[in-house]
Amino acid sequence: MEMKDLIQIEIPKLALFVPELIVLITGFVLFSLDLIYKRLSHTLAISISVIGYTLALLYLIFNFDLRGETFYGLYVRDSFSSLLQVFMILLTIILLAFTLQYQRFKRSLYGEFYYLLAFSLLGGMVLASSYNLLLIYIALEAVSVSFYILTALQRGDFTSKEGAFKYLILGGLAIALASYGAVFLYIYAGSFDLRHVLHFNAPDKSFLILGLVFFLFGLAIKIGVVPFHFWLPDAYQGAPTPITAYMSSVGKIAFFAPVLRVMPLVQESFHNTWVLAVGTLAVITFLYGNFVALVQKDVKRMLAYSSIAHSGYILAGVSVASAIGLKAVIYFLLAYSIMGMLGFLVLAVLERSGNWENKLEDFDGLKHSQGFMAWVFAIALLSLLGVPPTVGFLAKALVFMSLAYGKLWWIGILMIVGIGVSTGYYLRLIVLMFMKEGERRAIANPTGFEKASMVLMAASLLILGILPMLLWNYISPTSEMLFRR
Amino acid sequence: MELVPAVFPFIPLSIVLPLLGMVLIVFLEEKFAKWIALVFSGAVFVLSLVSLLYFDFSQAQKVQFYQSITLIKELNLSLSFGADGLSYLMYILTTLVSFVAICWSIRDHQINHRLKEYYAWFLLTESALVGVFTSWDMLVFYVFYELTLVPMFFVIGIWGYKLRLYSAYKFFVYIFVSSLFLLLGIVSIAVEHYRQFGKFSFSYFDLLQNQYGLAFGLFLFLLFFIAFAVKTPIVPFHTWLPDAHGEAPTAGSVVLAAILLKMGTYALLRFNIGLFPKIAVFLMPVLVLWGIASIIFASWFTISQSNVKRFVAYSSVSHMGFVVAGMFLLNKEGLRASIMEMFAHGLTSASLFMMAGFIYNRLHSFNMQALRGSIRFMPVFAVLTAITGFSSMGLPGGSSFWGKFLTIMGAKEYTLQLALLVLAGAFFSVLYMLYLLKTLYLDVKEEGRLVHFTDVRGFKLVAFLLVVVPMLMVGLLPFLFFAFFDAHIDFLLAMISKSLEGGLWK
Repeated sequence: MEMKDLIQIEIPKLALFVPELIVLITGFVLFSLDLIYKRLSHTLAISISVIGYTLALLYLIFNFDLRGETFYGLYVRDSFSSLLQVFMILLTIILLAFTLQYQRFKRSLYGEFYYLLAFSLLGGMVLASSYNLLLIYIALEAVSVSFYILTALQRGDFTSKEGAFKYLILGGLAIALASYGAVFLYIYAGSFDLRHVLHFNAPDKSFLILGLVFFLFGLAIKIGVVPFHFWLPDAYQGAPTPITAYMSSVGKIAFFAPVLRVMPLVQESFHNTWVLAVGTLAVITFLYGNFVALVQKDVKRMLAYSSIAHSGYILAGVSVASAIGLKAVIYFLLAYSIMGMLGFLVLAVLERSGNWENKLEDFDGLKHSQGFMAWVFAIALLSLLGVPPTVGFLAKALVFMSLAYGKLWWIGILMIVGIGVSTGYYLRLIVLMFMKEGERRAIANPTGFEKASMVLMAASLLILGILPMLLWNYISPTSEMLFRR
Repeated sequence: MELVPAVFPFIPLSIVLPLLGMVLIVFLEEKFAKWIALVFSGAVFVLSLVSLLYFDFSQAQKVQFYQSITLIKELNLSLSFGADGLSYLMYILTTLVSFVAICWSIRDHQINHRLKEYYAWFLLTESALVGVFTSWDMLVFYVFYELTLVPMFFVIGIWGYKLRLYSAYKFFVYIFVSSLFLLLGIVSIAVEHYRQFGKFSFSYFDLLQNQYGLAFGLFLFLLFFIAFAVKTPIVPFHTWLPDAHGEAPTAGSVVLAAILLKMGTYALLRFNIGLFPKIAVFLMPVLVLWGIASIIFASWFTISQSNVKRFVAYSSVSHMGFVVAGMFLLNKEGLRASIMEMFAHGLTSASLFMMAGFIYNRLHSFNMQALRGSIRFMPVFAVLTAITGFSSMGLPGGSSFWGKFLTIMGAKEYTLQLALLVLAGAFFSVLYMLYLLKTLYLDVKEEGRLVHFTDVRGFKLVAFLLVVVPMLMVGLLPFLFFAFFDAHIDFLLAMISKSLEGGLWK
């Protein structure tokens, strides 16, 4: 082989990563503005962010069929990455509608919030579009470091610091594990490319298994799978609520993306191990999440545990390493990103009511004082519970379907138990809101933007549930494509 | 099953109209709410009656008014609506009882706050119920099946009596969790269709072709059965029912007892027997005896109640026992009995709950002791109650007579002992109803407790008449109703015997 072939110079295909570039530039603009101006106007920061993200989003939507690889295969743009990125950017834009009022009320979002948001979004977008372990590692760091700081933004609040600190330590461990795993995978196959690693067929597979276990454990900590979840409730509770919403939606999509890229590559030789290992983790996760959520008195913490439980349901679909499982999982992930985010955003608005501490009793008679919020929250909760015709129901039905496809009846039955337990706490909130009388307090008065965003999200929960093909028609070819790799 | 396309979209219209009414109620003022609800549910009822003219009774085994829109082609998930004789009967029962419930609510003193929500929930229930009985896509069926839960949960929890929150919780949790088994069952047979025929399908007609082995079939049968046994309910699973029915407002109890319970029995007949005929035959003795045990236990529970609403609720459980026992006899008489009893019980239970609600409005008590002899001051009401009571008891000429009589006939086709066992169940169910009638009519009112009773009139009288007249029709002209479902029964029996060719297990 000649030297010329070894060192092929590839010109980066700019068109493939324009959205990332836009987000990166937006982030740097915000960063420099924050450096220059002592008190950066929040309206300005929000406008710049929204403009930047909208441009990226429009580019993505108009070039949705863009495919290709660049940077020597480090960076992949396919329908999977485009789909997830569209959702991530969209949800980030929606989130920005809520930050201004939250800042006015709590004074806990500073200039760094906006560029950290941009950088974590960038990290998430890269996570969704790479097979390369090194790039995944860097993107993981980008997302995580932003999240540590974002969690700690509630200055002067003890729980915020506690959450951020726990997140930092466990997150650091996760990163270490993931990089360790990446090294093992490199030893095994001599490549950092996951496609290459998982298709590589060496007689001795011990390094492959070891590497995958470490790598996935790292991701599992980030996602909040149960034996590694301890940071999650504290971080979610401590973080400013819009950031919790962000972590539970965009963060979840970002951290699940590499797992979903690995899932179709699972080989025949360790398929059963995969099913057993991931299935067991899934069962532990949703059972634990649901049982612990049941006894929470703080609604934000309860939703955090419900987020853990939902990771469990997603993992249950992941354990069925087949195309139908992947379809179910992508559907579930995107559905959860909407409903989870809506749940936390409603809290973010409600926190502006007088005397509000996110306690269960604060929700007494919410229907009478703040009817609009109560209805939106009820739709989010019903969707989280999986009552038809919301999108949450269809997502769960698809996971059940993939479990039936994989003949994993034990996970199916245990999932019924998990969902059954979850009925208790979702329903309790609805009962409190609609069937109890509450004390009188100052009401939150959502702004027009906030109202519009909430209506949009609640409506999309119903619409995607009634007309599933709107999402399915994108998901189905995507997962087939990932399986052909 | 053959399909007859719709000439006019009766069924989709019956689903959409109440939703339209719901939207109007939400956006218009509160004072219009009850009238909008009345008009829209009345319109749907009229629509269902008009559709009678277009229903071809000579081909009642075919699915008529069939319309279908594909949602996801890959999974064969579609919105497909249509009605064969059985569905059609249930569809008419639904529109009738929903209309009755709204008629009743208009003059119900219990319903005096949050009217917009109340009527909106009722219209949503009606829409979902029509969907349950007429959809032929299993997942869509499940969506409607679950959708009935939410409005009823709110109705019980907001407008119910003292223990309403507890009852609403219990109702929702029991039904929701048990339905999850159904969901697992539905997706499993859709996947099984893929294994056998190479494509996923949720269409009932496709799923009829699936074949199952004993163990797997039994497992799937149980997944379906758990959900429907709780919904029906059969005795050890019935504990949610007295609470939910007892604490719901009158109209809520009417809809719950008259239609929501029928969802369970309808689905047992349609899915458990239709999709798993072999397993149904295999489990027949157990299920029949279970049904009979359910009748007897529920009758005993009934007699011991002191709250008249819980009394009526428990009597529903015992009636459902007849439906289940009759159904799993798997012969013509048994199936006829079962479907007749479903329809008849829909009418009698609606009437009995209205009776309880009516007396409560006068006396502000559900206590049996307080009701003693109270009825004698209201002649019209007394007559209506008497007709209902004797119909429910199964007196010849009463609507429940056919259910009970045909169950006994069906049982006698197997052995005389079984027939006697059913007869024993029928005996107990007569006992509690006689006890209720005795309390109402024959006991003497205590001195000093005499209040002025106004007789039933206006909307409430209309509501009563709307169920009492069909009740008499069922009792006196049963052949009118056999015309709806006899063809379906023949079809079902043919399918069962076809599935048994070559022995129960090859």
